[in-house]
Amino acid sequence: MSKILVADDSRVMRQIVVRTLRQAGFGGHDIVEAENGRDCLEKALSESPDLILSDWNMPEMNGIDCLAALRGSGNQTPFGFVTSEGSDDMRARAAATGALFLIAKPFTAETFQEHLGGLL
Amino acid sequence: MSTAPEMTDVHAIVEQVWSSFLGDEEPLLPAYDAEVAFPADDAWSAAVSIHGGWTGTVTIELSKTLAFSLTRLMMAMEDSEPLDDAEVADAVGELVNMIGGNIKSLMPGPSALTLPVVAAGRAAHSSDLREVSRFDACWQGEPVRVSVHSPS
Repeated sequence: MSKILVADDSRVMRQIVVRTLRQAGFGGHDIVEAENGRDCLEKALSESPDLILSDWNMPEMNGIDCLAALRGSGNQTPFGFVTSEGSDDMRARAAATGALFLIAKPFTAETFQEHLGGLL
Repeated sequence: MSTAPEMTDVHAIVEQVWSSFLGDEEPLLPAYDAEVAFPADDAWSAAVSIHGGWTGTVTIELSKTLAFSLTRLMMAMEDSEPLDDAEVADAVGELVNMIGGNIKSLMPGPSALTLPVVAAGRAAHSSDLREVSRFDACWQGEPVRVSVHSPS
């Protein structure tokens, strides 16, 4: 069993992400939730998740700064964005900072299967 | 690239968000003749702004009944379970965040998207903004409006 850290400032969206993980066949894993980038950073270090799924725009600390801080500390936990913005510019920034993928909202269970299949 | 999102683009984005998170069972029906503003005592609204290569505000307004029913659906809650304002604000804010994020991706960048601001009441825009696009629709017999404003 793996541990997945889901970071989003919207509780509704965290719930939808967790539900979509289940629909995509990843329901057997432990889920830890974070409500902003700072919370995500702390839990990435304290909970040692196997995968981080994070929103981009969040209060306190955004997702890209969280990822940069993680990588800056030497942490290489697989990290993917689940965000409402999927522009080429943001995909390039995400990849350059160390994200494995960027899933744009709205998403489907198939999109999750496509990106997470080889990771869990 | 145009300097304002086309109504057909806004329509397509709203439809995609709607069907992904609220299901296909109940279609979102376009209502092209909706000219009347939402009554202030029966509306919820939320807005995000985009600043940068293109600047504008994306707003969603919907009836209170619709705001509550879509929140229950997004949270997989039964009709009998109580809902509080924070949950409705969360759901309506996330809807405009997704719609705004997708509109941002269509427009010239780079630009930044603000966090959503949600109100129990209809949206009002200052005089320096003009409406550049609007999509009116009906879902479960209740009205929803997505509009895009940019500086005049």
